[in-house]
Amino acid sequence: MHPDHRSGELPDPFIERLAAQLREPVSLSPEVERVVLDRLRTRPARRRWPGVAGALAAGIAAAFGAGLLVGRWTAAPSAGVPSVRPVEFALRMPADSAVVLVGDFNDWNPAATPLHRATDGVWSVTVPLRPGRYRYTFIVDGTRWHRDPAAPRALEDDFGAPTSVITIAQR
Amino acid sequence: MTASPSLLQVSPSDAELVLRVRQGDLDAYGPLMTRYRLRFGRYAYHLLGNESDAEEALQDAFTLAYRSLDQCRHPERFAAWLFRILVNRCRTTGVRRGREQARRAPIEAADGIGVHHPSEEAMRREELARGLGRLVPEQREAFLLKYVEELSYEEMAALTGAGESALKMRVKRACEQLRELLGDTDAS
Repeated sequence: MHPDHRSGELPDPFIERLAAQLREPVSLSPEVERVVLDRLRTRPARRRWPGVAGALAAGIAAAFGAGLLVGRWTAAPSAGVPSVRPVEFALRMPADSAVVLVGDFNDWNPAATPLHRATDGVWSVTVPLRPGRYRYTFIVDGTRWHRDPAAPRALEDDFGAPTSVITIAQR
Repeated sequence: MTASPSLLQVSPSDAELVLRVRQGDLDAYGPLMTRYRLRFGRYAYHLLGNESDAEEALQDAFTLAYRSLDQCRHPERFAAWLFRILVNRCRTTGVRRGREQARRAPIEAADGIGVHHPSEEAMRREELARGLGRLVPEQREAFLLKYVEELSYEEMAALTGAGESALKMRVKRACEQLRELLGDTDAS
């Protein structure tokens, strides 16, 4: 459907001409699929969440959630929404930084989950998460990927970037 | 998204392939990727500015989608879900690498010293690519989503998290800048 028809805007011949050129097919290698399948065969996904995940989550929460200010995260029950738990992600960074959280839970969208700085110098944000295993990282000042120092490193770091992993147990 | 290939009654459907992959049939993921490589690759190519980065973004998005497939709650809308991952992946890639200032070398540098004479069509494409590369990423993203992917502003807002009025402004400014950069002779 033509965009202008949907928005009620008048068509612009110049822009339409550009758009028509850009809508032409581009040539990308069919090797893309093979590379991905090889990658997935080499490092198969752990998409099903095992029952032992709870032990891991509880252990990490006990070790880092209560006492550490840097990289802490906690997972606590959420009243009224039994399947979702609020999880706090935190990172100590200078006050003039900008810190965002990207991960499997927000489609790695750098605009979705900014962290807020508390007076103790820790940047944090709380995200409601369903039970499961999520990979994530912090982006500092828009350019630097910063792994969570308080969480395990993701084993299947497909993107060549520092990535952490968090597992939320079924209750 | 509009005109999802799944609506064209391709067989097996996206939902069927997603189900097979979820059941452990990795080979069923191949046809899913093939189905969307060129269509979504076009977006990545125009946003990132070259084939290499586009293919890398596509590979990352396919990989991430596979690993997150349990979170695809509407397998019949796999295409829209995958595209959302790709859009965000392209954003993150651009942010991570800070490559904007290095994007798209001038035609002269790419062609060497009079050795190669690109066709008029090729030059037109290069010029358009260069114009796109001059836009700030948010404007380029909005322009491509609006005019190339042909999304509504409502769909764009859902996809990007930006407000509709902000998106309209980005598209407007992108159009103005492209007109200025590429010389709209029709406007005079």
